[in-house]
Amino acid sequence: MSDDGPSQNGDDPPTPDSDDRWSQYRQRLIRLGQTSVGERVLIALSALVLSIVVGTVIVTVAGLMATCRSPVLTFGSTTLCYDPFYVFNRLFLGALGDPFVGGWSPLNAQFAATLRETTILVFTGLSVALAFRAGIFNIGTQGQLIVGALAAALTVLWAGSLVSGALALVLLIPLGLLAGAVGGGFYGAIPGALKAYADANEVITTIMLNFVAVRVTLYLVRNHFADPTSQATQTRTLPVEGQFPSILFDPRTDFSLLALLIALVFVGGVYYLLEHTAFGYDLRTAGIQPAAAEYGGVDSARTILTSLTLSGALGGIGGAVFVMMTLGKFQTGIPSYGFDGITVSILAGNNPIGAVFAALLFGVLKSGSNVVAFATNVPPQLVGVLRGLIILFVAMPEFFRIIGRRLSTREPDSQATATAGGGADD
Amino acid sequence: MEQAVHLDGITKRFPGVVANDDVDLAVEKGTVHALLGENGAGKTTLMNVLYGLYQPTEGTVNVHGETQQFDSPRDAIDEGVGMIHQHFMLVDPMTVTENITLGNEPRKWLGLTVDREQSRQEVSELSERYGFDVDPDARIEDVGVGVQQRVEILKALYRGADVLILDEPTAVLTPQEVEDLFRVLEELTDQGKTIIFITHKLGEAMEAADEITVLREGKNVGTVPADDITREELAEMMVGREVLLDLDRDPATPGQSILDVEDLVVEDDRGVRAVDGISLNVRAGEVLGIAGVDGNGQSELVEAITGLQLPDEGTITYDGVDRTTDSRRERIEAGMAYIPEDRQERGLVMDFDLVENGLLGSQHAADYTSNGRINWDHTRDHAEDIIEEYDVRPPDADAHAKSLSGGNQQKFVVGREFARDPRLVVASHPTRGVDVGSMEFIHDRLNALREAGRAVLLISSNLDEVQSLSDRLAVIYEGEIIDIVDPERVTEEQLGLLMAGQQPDAVPTIAADGEGRQ
Repeated sequence: MSDDGPSQNGDDPPTPDSDDRWSQYRQRLIRLGQTSVGERVLIALSALVLSIVVGTVIVTVAGLMATCRSPVLTFGSTTLCYDPFYVFNRLFLGALGDPFVGGWSPLNAQFAATLRETTILVFTGLSVALAFRAGIFNIGTQGQLIVGALAAALTVLWAGSLVSGALALVLLIPLGLLAGAVGGGFYGAIPGALKAYADANEVITTIMLNFVAVRVTLYLVRNHFADPTSQATQTRTLPVEGQFPSILFDPRTDFSLLALLIALVFVGGVYYLLEHTAFGYDLRTAGIQPAAAEYGGVDSARTILTSLTLSGALGGIGGAVFVMMTLGKFQTGIPSYGFDGITVSILAGNNPIGAVFAALLFGVLKSGSNVVAFATNVPPQLVGVLRGLIILFVAMPEFFRIIGRRLSTREPDSQATATAGGGADD
Repeated sequence: MEQAVHLDGITKRFPGVVANDDVDLAVEKGTVHALLGENGAGKTTLMNVLYGLYQPTEGTVNVHGETQQFDSPRDAIDEGVGMIHQHFMLVDPMTVTENITLGNEPRKWLGLTVDREQSRQEVSELSERYGFDVDPDARIEDVGVGVQQRVEILKALYRGADVLILDEPTAVLTPQEVEDLFRVLEELTDQGKTIIFITHKLGEAMEAADEITVLREGKNVGTVPADDITREELAEMMVGREVLLDLDRDPATPGQSILDVEDLVVEDDRGVRAVDGISLNVRAGEVLGIAGVDGNGQSELVEAITGLQLPDEGTITYDGVDRTTDSRRERIEAGMAYIPEDRQERGLVMDFDLVENGLLGSQHAADYTSNGRINWDHTRDHAEDIIEEYDVRPPDADAHAKSLSGGNQQKFVVGREFARDPRLVVASHPTRGVDVGSMEFIHDRLNALREAGRAVLLISSNLDEVQSLSDRLAVIYEGEIIDIVDPERVTEEQLGLLMAGQQPDAVPTIAADGEGRQ
């Protein structure tokens, strides 16, 4: 490399292409931005394998440093306390209920736990992805989920006191989902309106509204809707008709195939909305290039408000499903499904169909962590490190892909010629 | 004669692109040499090689008869090669003198402080020697673009440049400033300096240069003396085929008024009146041109008419209906087509393919969408029709907008807007940055619309374009229409003065109704 950088000259423009190494990275990033779906799946799988290799090293080192009563291996004075292969075996195979052991049934309890997490994460992942596609960073899915969850619980409790029997069976679940959608949608519309009409940054408002949601639901449940028979801050238990039936699976697993199917229907619905409707076209255009959307007659304020409302509604339905499938009541201290939804969406490249697979990976990691904690003496913090590592590895290529796309959008010609030239020829 | 610069077999490859392919270039000392070519022909790359910003993949650089290896612009400057970039590299709050001497200041007190008096004297001597009319004490932010350019040239001369490279020096200048620049170039060559200037404008190359070298697709197509060649021959060298530069057209037969703008006022983001009380009308079957230096309110006027920005005062009547406060979408639906000045920002979604881009603006129209559902098959046919009719290359509806060249992007935008069967077309710089072949094509289409009885509002800073296409020509200056003139009879000099806000004598004006020429 012959150049030592023109940047030494104060009066010359720094030209990126003069630095061969940077230009090579640029080309690679741009190439990454153009990867096909198949290539991206391959990249994600390679990243997964690589993260397991790195994780194995970390578990081994940690195992050598730890002291324990019954080590896995002993060489002289050195002992290995954790078996990295067994940890990853539990994390993945355990989460699926040991598919390679005889007598495996897909209906086992551990797999049900995995799918239970997956179902909620599909909704929150869709919620974040929809907003992302409109160019909006919705950090508030957690708050929208909480509000939707409470709205669903209160509505089902109220309606359950009015109807019973067969009518309750067909009415309560749809009503609960609707209430979740309305509650979450309303809670998404607030930052939507603030952004659309008052130019308030949605990242700030949605984060703040998350705290508001936690506190307001805590107040409401404790002071107005508390279950008098319980010490915990929770509502009364929903009527059986208002809880998702656990088709095929053991009822004790708190998982319902019906809820998963509904989640998949919503995946299809969001995909259809984005790709096949005029509103989806407006939304995507506004998200990708706002100035062009404005030129194309897209009402940006309305698009922002509508997409954040829909995003909130998806989060709210996630909350409704959590209440009607997992908990059977509303309880404060809801797990961070909304925040995990952000990661799910990024892993999926904000693609609704990709969100299913990203949510499944997350579900496996969540329920697998429990199996690891149960089956080994590995500290939970270390399992958390492994989970983080896997997510980081799988998400990074997606992150760099977004950068690559930006680079290639900014300069259509890979050549640094005078495209910014003034008037045309004469 | 002695050769100041001799590039021998220069090839410059970037990953996946050959920007320069075995280019020879010989420039004689004391001459002005124009490097002519379309955008992307490799002109700037070649000059960056000469200036040491790039190292050639193959070939040698010879300056004043000696083979040189420039690892950086510093080496090039040491050998007397200076370059003035399209975007000036000046420090706005500092004075002319400070900018010129920056980095090479005369020192005093053992080099601890700058000798301001000597700096000032050196700069004013240099300025006088070449007949530059530059005040050494003026601040850069207070002087015009033409002066800033001269400061850039002085900066290079101060560092001892014998060979000056100018990259598209006229892009930002008014016609008068261009004249001044050409006089400066003449003075410089008289005193033995050598000038290479990069341009894609035929007229300028022929006017200012002694010799012209044409680049096409990274190759040297030929070097010709400027006196022995016609515009048509040069255009053919640039494009590689015959080009019709002049349009044959019948006189306009304007019909009823389609667009009426009354007392329009548009304020920009800082509350400055960018459009300050403009009234104009465009009738069916005519082209109203708006000429002016960029930044005199054209963008704001166009945005107010097309519905991208609401005016602060005044009315916009379209087809007899007051549409001052209508949304952009309502105006599209009313048959207003708009070719925006920035195709990559507004006109196209760069990450969408051409099928999706063909829908932009029509996504709610009944032709493409029923009950909110987009008919993608029909949309694809539409995009393919545009591609075929407007000769967009590559002819692939699945290609992303960003993968197309500027000219093809523009042809697609033009095709999409004309396919709306509009009653009014607002065309803002429709051929900016477009190659000669596409430009000819777009002009032809605009003319066809006029023949078909549509109203066309054409905004351009390219005088030849507005003069040859318009039936009436309005000149805009600081947000006001200075005058509306007859484009066939007005001289370029008169136009230049009008664009600078002055009132020359005997301007052939046209009354606002288009009748009664003076």
